[in-house]
Amino acid sequence: MTHRMTLLILQLAFIILATRLFGWIAAKKLKQPEVLGEMVSGMVIGPYLLGGIAIPLLHGPLFPLQDGQIPVTPELYGIAVLGSVILLFLSGLETDVKTFLRFSGKGTAVGLGGVILPFILGSSITVLLLPNVHTIFDPAALFLGVVSTATSVGITARILSDQRKLSSPEGVTILSAAVLDDVLSIVILAVAAGLAGVAGTGGSIPWGEIGVVAAKAFGFWIVCTAVGIFLAPRITRGMKRFQSVSMTAAVSLGLALLLAGLAELSGLAMIIGAYITGLAFSQTDVSHEIHERVQGLYEFLVPVFFCVMGMMVNFAALTQVWVFGLVFALLAMFGKVVGSGLPALLVGFNLRGALRIGSGMLPRGEVTLIIAGVGLSSGAIGQDLFGVAVITMLLASVVAPPTLIFFFSRGGSGYTRKLPGDGEDSVTIELDFPAERTALFMLREALSAFRAEGYYVHQPDNHRRFYTLRREGSAVSVHQDGVNLVITTRRDEEQFVRLLMMEELLGLKDFLSSLEGMKSPDMMGAELMMGMFALEDARLDREAQQDESERAET
Amino acid sequence: MKLKQVLNKEVVTTDLQGSTKREIIEELLDILMNTGKVADRSTALKDLLDREAKMSTGIQHGVAIPHAKTKAVTGLVACIGVHREGMDFESLDGVPSTIFVMTLSPENRTGPHVQFLAEISMVLKSPPVRSAIMKVTDPGELLELFGA
Repeated sequence: MTHRMTLLILQLAFIILATRLFGWIAAKKLKQPEVLGEMVSGMVIGPYLLGGIAIPLLHGPLFPLQDGQIPVTPELYGIAVLGSVILLFLSGLETDVKTFLRFSGKGTAVGLGGVILPFILGSSITVLLLPNVHTIFDPAALFLGVVSTATSVGITARILSDQRKLSSPEGVTILSAAVLDDVLSIVILAVAAGLAGVAGTGGSIPWGEIGVVAAKAFGFWIVCTAVGIFLAPRITRGMKRFQSVSMTAAVSLGLALLLAGLAELSGLAMIIGAYITGLAFSQTDVSHEIHERVQGLYEFLVPVFFCVMGMMVNFAALTQVWVFGLVFALLAMFGKVVGSGLPALLVGFNLRGALRIGSGMLPRGEVTLIIAGVGLSSGAIGQDLFGVAVITMLLASVVAPPTLIFFFSRGGSGYTRKLPGDGEDSVTIELDFPAERTALFMLREALSAFRAEGYYVHQPDNHRRFYTLRREGSAVSVHQDGVNLVITTRRDEEQFVRLLMMEELLGLKDFLSSLEGMKSPDMMGAELMMGMFALEDARLDREAQQDESERAET
Repeated sequence: MKLKQVLNKEVVTTDLQGSTKREIIEELLDILMNTGKVADRSTALKDLLDREAKMSTGIQHGVAIPHAKTKAVTGLVACIGVHREGMDFESLDGVPSTIFVMTLSPENRTGPHVQFLAEISMVLKSPPVRSAIMKVTDPGELLELFGA
């Protein structure tokens, strides 16, 4: 027992150090998402490579290869699962349900196309090329179908913001379609996970059981989401009596784990319960505070999850399926571009716009891995097909950013119809401040003003002061870069944004004049410094007086 | 927000007379007083002048949008006035101001006035609309130009 716990602690130590190193190399040196580095770190230090080498001090390897589908110890795998639950809880928490419920028809068409075609292509190619898979209801075909549907829009959002294209018609459409894709992928995953339990690998399809499982998955999804959205604001309101946001955050995380367990017990995947809980709490006014507090856990546990996923890549198993993997990855990318691009053509974009949208939906990330991980642990797919999912994710992540930049950096508008207003896509407003602190102050004021106007503020990347703001059909992006504040908006919303910023600038002016009325900062500073030795001086004075009085007495 | 919800013939004039900033502001405020929706004239006037002192609301192309957040109203109120000759409202481009849109909104909210002014500005950014406004004499026709 002690040896197992020691091993776990040592494993975690190496994982935390390795993920940081590889993540840093990926992000800073290779300009790739950190998650890729974290996953590759798992491949390198995992049981199939360096981790499998025996270390004399440990009387065996650091990551001893385990029997069965999961090659790492159950303790380590448990911590990785906790990481995936936290990841999906936070993803749910970041979802903008109101926009999701109301977003434009364009996003729905693109999102649906981007799920349906890749799913059909992904599962069909599995049936065609793998000899032991006979129908698309085979668990392996279903899981690979779901693997081809997931989109990781965080990467797209970052590229579009760098190119100042986030509020273009293509940008807005990609963002809203990605919300739908996330939800649909997870619903299909719920069905696939359920079916994995009943569908055989043989020729006959148990339609009755499939119907029951699908109904159960949708039922669980709809009932829990509805109940969650109804209950979450009431729970947080009740919790406010305790006047502790930490307690609210802890209770919401507890509920996420509870629902995750219930989802697993009902034959679905844990992450579904976690995602639904996040979604429910995303509607409460404390969602940002919960996010902030759970973020600390995220930063430690989620890299462990990605690293452990990397450890599952069995290079020997991969050699048997790498041709299939490449074909599958290319087809999954083709399905995404055509599946999202074709509906875009039908809703008013030209070929250039459709290609931009298709390529914007290309990046894949954590959700692909989570789906594959669920498939592997449920036995629906083996280590070979898990490797196929990893190839798909790696290839799409490497190919997507340059493709996206290529399509967005050339040519004119991708939209064939005139927009309300002047028709040209977006306007950039730049404000220069004398110091970074002033720009930061204005950024905070502006974000709270937009929130008060009913905008939902989202920060796609915690390391950058870049925010997307959405309200029904409109999207604004705000970016603070040093002393500059850059706001991008649609042309027909330009007046509104300019007037709003003007109001906030006047607020800044009021703040500055109130500062002028403040006691001189020099005086305040002097008082602070004078106080530094005051206690010690008083003590010495007291002692001197005491000595003097003692001397006088003698 | 529909401009129609805020604007009607009662709050429109095509014949402003004032020759100073204060006179124009008082003239427009009196139009709003007639609607009965402004509780206290002196508070509203003080808030309008204070806002004007921070930064002139005379923007460009003869358009000025004097506005303020004030305790004197409980909901957004607005009026439109046209000054035939144009007067110096300390506008950003130095052009005499001819088209005035005044709004007052409650103090405690970021306020619907930003949305309202944005919609008004969308109308006024078109040069043909601005020159048509200068030609009409009937308040009804003026409202039509604003789509209200």
